[in-house]
Amino acid sequence: MKYDYYDLIVVGTGFASTFFLKKYLEKNKATKRILVLDRGQFFPHAERLKVKQGEPSDFSHMEEPWEDAIINENKAKRWPFTLGFGGCSNCWWGCTPRFMPSDFKMNTLFGVEKDWPLDYDALDAYYYEAEELMSISGPEDTPFPRKGKYPLPPHTFTAVDKILNQTYGNKYISQPSARASRPTKGRNACFAKSTCDVCPVDAKFTVENSQMRIYENEQIELVFGAQVFSLETAGNQIKKVLYVKDGKDFEITGEVIVLGANPIFNSNILLNAGDTNRFTGKGFGEQLGMQVLIYLNNMKNTGGSTWVNANGYMLYDGEHRKDYAACLIETNNAPYYIRLERGKWLNMASFRMLFEDLPLDENFIKPSANKLIPRVSFTKRSDYTMKGIENMKKKLPGILSCLPVEQLKYLDPFPNEGHIIGGTRMGRSASDSVVDKNMIHHQYRNLFILGAGSFTTFSASNPTLTLSALSLYSADHSF
Amino acid sequence: MKRRRFFILAGLSTGLLILPPALYISAPPLRKFAVRLIYKELNYLKLEPNGVEKYVDDFFNSSINNMLVNLKWKTFYYLRVSPTQSTQVYDLIKYYLLSTDFFIYKTDETRMINYLGLYNPYKSPIPNPYSFQIYPPKKESK
Repeated sequence: MKYDYYDLIVVGTGFASTFFLKKYLEKNKATKRILVLDRGQFFPHAERLKVKQGEPSDFSHMEEPWEDAIINENKAKRWPFTLGFGGCSNCWWGCTPRFMPSDFKMNTLFGVEKDWPLDYDALDAYYYEAEELMSISGPEDTPFPRKGKYPLPPHTFTAVDKILNQTYGNKYISQPSARASRPTKGRNACFAKSTCDVCPVDAKFTVENSQMRIYENEQIELVFGAQVFSLETAGNQIKKVLYVKDGKDFEITGEVIVLGANPIFNSNILLNAGDTNRFTGKGFGEQLGMQVLIYLNNMKNTGGSTWVNANGYMLYDGEHRKDYAACLIETNNAPYYIRLERGKWLNMASFRMLFEDLPLDENFIKPSANKLIPRVSFTKRSDYTMKGIENMKKKLPGILSCLPVEQLKYLDPFPNEGHIIGGTRMGRSASDSVVDKNMIHHQYRNLFILGAGSFTTFSASNPTLTLSALSLYSADHSF
Repeated sequence: MKRRRFFILAGLSTGLLILPPALYISAPPLRKFAVRLIYKELNYLKLEPNGVEKYVDDFFNSSINNMLVNLKWKTFYYLRVSPTQSTQVYDLIKYYLLSTDFFIYKTDETRMINYLGLYNPYKSPIPNPYSFQIYPPKKESK
């Protein structure tokens, strides 16, 4: 380390940390000592692509399998994530719908769980900013309040999308996406390769290709291979960050500490530090996804873009959320769902149905005997979610009556959704949550805990845009 | 990070399902039944013969390829198991079509179907048979 004391210590380099630092650097004109600790390494996109193409790469050893990083008690449930520089921006699929306003008011509107301590309007300006930074492609008319055009035009509709959009208007839209529909800011246009985790043409926004130049700022010292496992507290302050590098324990002092690791590790760090908040590590989970195959009669579903092409909100909002979960339809233009009957090869649509879940105490993170490896205990889905599935099965045939449907085939729920949420929920006080609306710990007032771990409720929408906007909001309101 | 069945499928298509060498016992005579299944299911298409055999070799060499699996193909053929009855048969035919130029030429049944190499979305020229790359949006008339 250059110094033995830093003004700001940030853990992780994924979306949460990067967007927080973006705003922090804008707001602070004075020179600061900023330390960023990343447990992984820089594994460039070009090298990731080589691995995907089956070519040798000198970087391939840098990929740390997620299975080795946690103790997963429920093997049927999976929690894939990517470690190292840029975090999950290296493996996300670039789906960036905003949350609906109702997602922030689940208690007021539906009597379910708690309201968030901030609402959609409070986050609105930061949504725009995040969308601009990621050069989001999207339509003008959306089901959530939004004015004007997205930075890039929407992706093209399939034949099925066109009919559903004509039928349902802004409840069925081209998905707002961080997969560029046109060349932009160092990124190519999406080629519809349908391999978005590592985009072959680098069309998807990542921290690496973002051109935000955060980690090139001369105030920032970025240290790789440094895994933070705990914090040293003194009263209601965090004094030191404890980490392991090259197999040895180290500690470093900071004035303000920011945890921007994924929700599993943020919780583990807090629990290892002795955080006694009763919600820390609790209410962990993610949305539930399941696929529906739609067999079409005499209709090709062609002309769309890459894998995730559109979003349907016909099962999202409404009085039903008092009783069962919202469902976001994610239309998948996936190459693998084809038919083999003569002349019907492309007479198929496939929907991924995303259901919100609730932050249950039965699902939690806890430390293990190894301070670096958290234990993930996920035991159940909420009845609220399961009822949502049953409702979807009842309603979907009617919703699709505008299409020439031959049959619907429901596949089993996926073992993972890639949307890890909870463990450090946001609320009004320590009696109902871990952090406040600025994502500052209720007790340790110099500690920020960023990311989807802070979500009060899960929503049915993809979390990345919202967690990025929250990071901008937090830094803007705190410095 | 999605997250997805895609990872499993990509593993199949890119040969990343690495198994112990002992499991790579090939049984060439049995592969002919997989070839016959393809011809039977796609009897209305003109399949380039060498391409079908090469595909079956590539398919078996890059995926789970043990004696028991190979024996199944003989059973599938003689019991007339269809793609709707067996995921394995469905995958064999599906990946054959995705590995050819059939979709790139808009499912034209009159053309000879050529094998391009085992389907790999990172290597295929146009890996998504539904996409606007094959079916571009129509320009609106002025």
